[in-house]
Amino acid sequence: MAVSLTEGVVMKMLNGEVTSETDMMPVLQVTELKLIQSKLHQNQESSNRYKFLLSDGTDLAAGMLNTSLNSLVNQGTIQLGSVIRLTHYICNLIQTRRIVVIMQLEVIVEKCNIIGNPKEPGHSSINPQRGGVNTQSNGGSEQQQARRSDVNGGRYGVSANSPQPQVVHNSSDAGRYCVSANSPQPQVVHSSSDAGRYGVSANSPQRQVVHNSPDAGRYGQPQVSQRYGTGSGYPETSPSTRPYVSSNAGYGGSRQDQPRAPTATTAYSRPVQSAYQPQQPPMYVNRGPVARNEAPPRINPIAALNPYQGRWTIKVRVTSKADLRRFNNPRGEGKLFSFDLLDADGGEIRVTCFNDAVDQFFDKIVVGNVYLISRGNLKPAQKNFNHLPNDYEIHLDSASTIQPCEDDGTIPRYHFHFRNIGDIENMENNSTTDVIGIVSSISPTVAIMRKNLTEVQKRSLQLKDMSGRSVEVTMWGNFCNAEGQKLQNLCDSGVFPVLALKAGRIGEFNGKQVSTIGASQFFIEPDFPEARELRQWYEREGRNAHFTSISREFSGVGRQEVRKVIAQIKDEKLGTSEKPDWITVCATISFMKVENFCYTACPIMNGDRPCSKKVTNNGDGTWRCEKCDKCVDECDYRYILQIQLQDHTDLTWATAFQEAGEEIMGMSAKDLYYVKYENQDEEKFEDIIRSVAFTKYIFKLKIKEETYSDEQRVKATVVKAEKLNYSSNTRFMLEAIDKLKIGDANSLPIKAESSNYRSDAFNSGVGTSGTRDTASVDARREFGLPAANQVGQYGNQYSSDARSLGGFTSCNVCRSNSHVSANCPTLMSEPQGQYMGGTNAGGGMPRQHVGSY
Amino acid sequence: MDTSSPAAFVNGALLRRYIGQKVRAVIQVIRSDVGSVIGKSTDDQQIVVKGSPQPPLTTYLEVIGIAETDNTIRAEVWTNFGDSFDVQNYNELCKLANGEFRHLFI
Repeated sequence: MAVSLTEGVVMKMLNGEVTSETDMMPVLQVTELKLIQSKLHQNQESSNRYKFLLSDGTDLAAGMLNTSLNSLVNQGTIQLGSVIRLTHYICNLIQTRRIVVIMQLEVIVEKCNIIGNPKEPGHSSINPQRGGVNTQSNGGSEQQQARRSDVNGGRYGVSANSPQPQVVHNSSDAGRYCVSANSPQPQVVHSSSDAGRYGVSANSPQRQVVHNSPDAGRYGQPQVSQRYGTGSGYPETSPSTRPYVSSNAGYGGSRQDQPRAPTATTAYSRPVQSAYQPQQPPMYVNRGPVARNEAPPRINPIAALNPYQGRWTIKVRVTSKADLRRFNNPRGEGKLFSFDLLDADGGEIRVTCFNDAVDQFFDKIVVGNVYLISRGNLKPAQKNFNHLPNDYEIHLDSASTIQPCEDDGTIPRYHFHFRNIGDIENMENNSTTDVIGIVSSISPTVAIMRKNLTEVQKRSLQLKDMSGRSVEVTMWGNFCNAEGQKLQNLCDSGVFPVLALKAGRIGEFNGKQVSTIGASQFFIEPDFPEARELRQWYEREGRNAHFTSISREFSGVGRQEVRKVIAQIKDEKLGTSEKPDWITVCATISFMKVENFCYTACPIMNGDRPCSKKVTNNGDGTWRCEKCDKCVDECDYRYILQIQLQDHTDLTWATAFQEAGEEIMGMSAKDLYYVKYENQDEEKFEDIIRSVAFTKYIFKLKIKEETYSDEQRVKATVVKAEKLNYSSNTRFMLEAIDKLKIGDANSLPIKAESSNYRSDAFNSGVGTSGTRDTASVDARREFGLPAANQVGQYGNQYSSDARSLGGFTSCNVCRSNSHVSANCPTLMSEPQGQYMGGTNAGGGMPRQHVGSY
Repeated sequence: MDTSSPAAFVNGALLRRYIGQKVRAVIQVIRSDVGSVIGKSTDDQQIVVKGSPQPPLTTYLEVIGIAETDNTIRAEVWTNFGDSFDVQNYNELCKLANGEFRHLFI
């Protein structure tokens, strides 16, 4: 197949005449292909780049392939010798070289011998003759046009704009292509070939409209003026100068229409002219430069952004915005925030602002709004913070501009990359994904104690989809309350809501699970096709289908809220294992030691928190800290409250330090100290103590055995105290009653969570153990059956059945096949003995049978 | 404690079981007329409570009285229960008190 390269274009690219596809879409040959591996992320395929040498037959230009096109090389579509047409590219000056960055291309010929004898850039010079012959391919270049008009004179008027470069090449007979050009047939060819090559066809009326756009103005105007300014002789000789100018809005290529119009195909050309003639001439002749300035910026797609491109503007919708964060590193303090963008082509990218840029832009950015953003730096994406499918992220600085603009319906509000749950099983940990499914159950919020003694809320739910799999989704922090509560309410009312989770992180914490990150978003009962499809599926078959969970085991006893009674501290020998036990009790303060309720503490800041060690009075009004080895004028007062807690089972001593003390007393230790010792207002002090004593709180306790002078003592420390909320406590008790009703020995909230997805996983086991009423997961949920324990009991009662199921590792403690012994619920929670007698008898019985005891 | 005349916890649906008997219910006041209060039971049914309570009334009221029809109570005792009240919990209580744990309630 004969291929013609766009001759001379490399020189134009190198000297800056041709910078992007709006100038032209050249056809070039790949003469060298190199893989460049980015040092930043060697493990990521996407960070590989391909470097090209591109030839136009005479000269070579260096080019880079956008990583999104890497697959073309990997598949062998582009190889050495391939002839490609650059349909979207940018020539950027990098240091002293110009590099062609290719965003989009068409492969014209996959395999081809190297055409001509191209040389390295800088060695060859322009041959005017060659340029002259070939210019029609370069229609947009005024220099060549002008030069050629000198060379070719009058004949040029027709030939220059011949639709087919080959024709020009092969024949020097001007007359011949005069004829061909006049006939309607080539006309069509012309339009189409031009359209393909330049993305514009000056001949067609539609394209003319395109030329009216500021872009056309930017590129077209100088050409027009220069061309006529140089006086090629053409306009004077042409009978139709004005229409000619007007038709020539951008590219020389359209020129042939006009002279031809009066001569031959009148019917064909006239309407075209009249369509745009009235407004065109003044636009371009008089107002060129002005039009250029007024021009709204060209919108680049996000997918085409790259570091080798200086000037760009994107039109984007902000899909999420992170909170302002402060950081501290060896180079000092700083702050940052980031937000995620989506454009009309579905491209996504994150923007990060640091320090000054935060002040400049933080308030401007509103989630959901559309903005024009230009001039930022593109940096490789920090994949550990940035989950978006883009190799880059934008860093804004003071030169960047963010301009709000009208809402643009073509930019979607959200862009999902849903993966089904079955796929998630095979996805890498820490990768992010979007997932949509039916929420089959949701657990209550529990508070988890972090190592640094701060608390975080956690809540998990089971999500299932058409892949027949279910997964545990863990919600952290604020998600537990707003979205979590909404889901809870929906589940409570018997609806199994559709939930779309955007940007969940896949983790491997006892099986695969998905958890929320800061950028995650929940969409509850969303209205888009995937959700409707899922809903239909669920109503049709999903409701009764069997699901296998990809989250194998519940996350252990961990630091979830474990509600216990005080007697259990002793009964279960809490705190005596290696790690402390964290429990929650609902108890009344029955006694409080009022002497020494606080101590004098060192206020000197040690990092971000005060030293807080005990300081001693020097007797001269100053206080000395042994640890800091310093004296201070004023000390802090910190609680060290010794309180006795009592519930209906037992009582225990506990210590509450500063924060917990404040929560209990409702005032700071210092204030209380002043009441008692400075003001000596004994009556007020007693009032305060009395108001706290005999009040019910929910206490979070850390139970740990400690050794004091060879004596082992189990110490309870209050880490959190909360005045009892009767409403929520009643709810909690109702749940417990519910569980008790269906014969569960372990009526604790933690079990509910653990059992929920075991119920999914071991549904069949339960079903075949002869419990007709609980055969389906959802039915069980309605009863609130804690399946794990049930299974355990079935295991005992119907052990032969259970074993015959096979397939699961069975527990050697309770003989259930639902778990291995390490996770056996009978070991994880309080001894069943306590409730055993009554409840086991009805073990696993559905509600209606329970009434008997 | 006086157990001679127990008042059963009821919501709207349970009221009909106790016609002619003493009941107690918490209602959300919708409007109050002369000689009666129109309210909403904890299971969202409209109930007419006959009698004249002492104003002012809070959003939630507990009434103790005789169930006259399946949506009317002739109230003897009116108690203001404040403006925030967990209706759902109360409704569950009603169900428990009339369900399998009935024997635990007087």
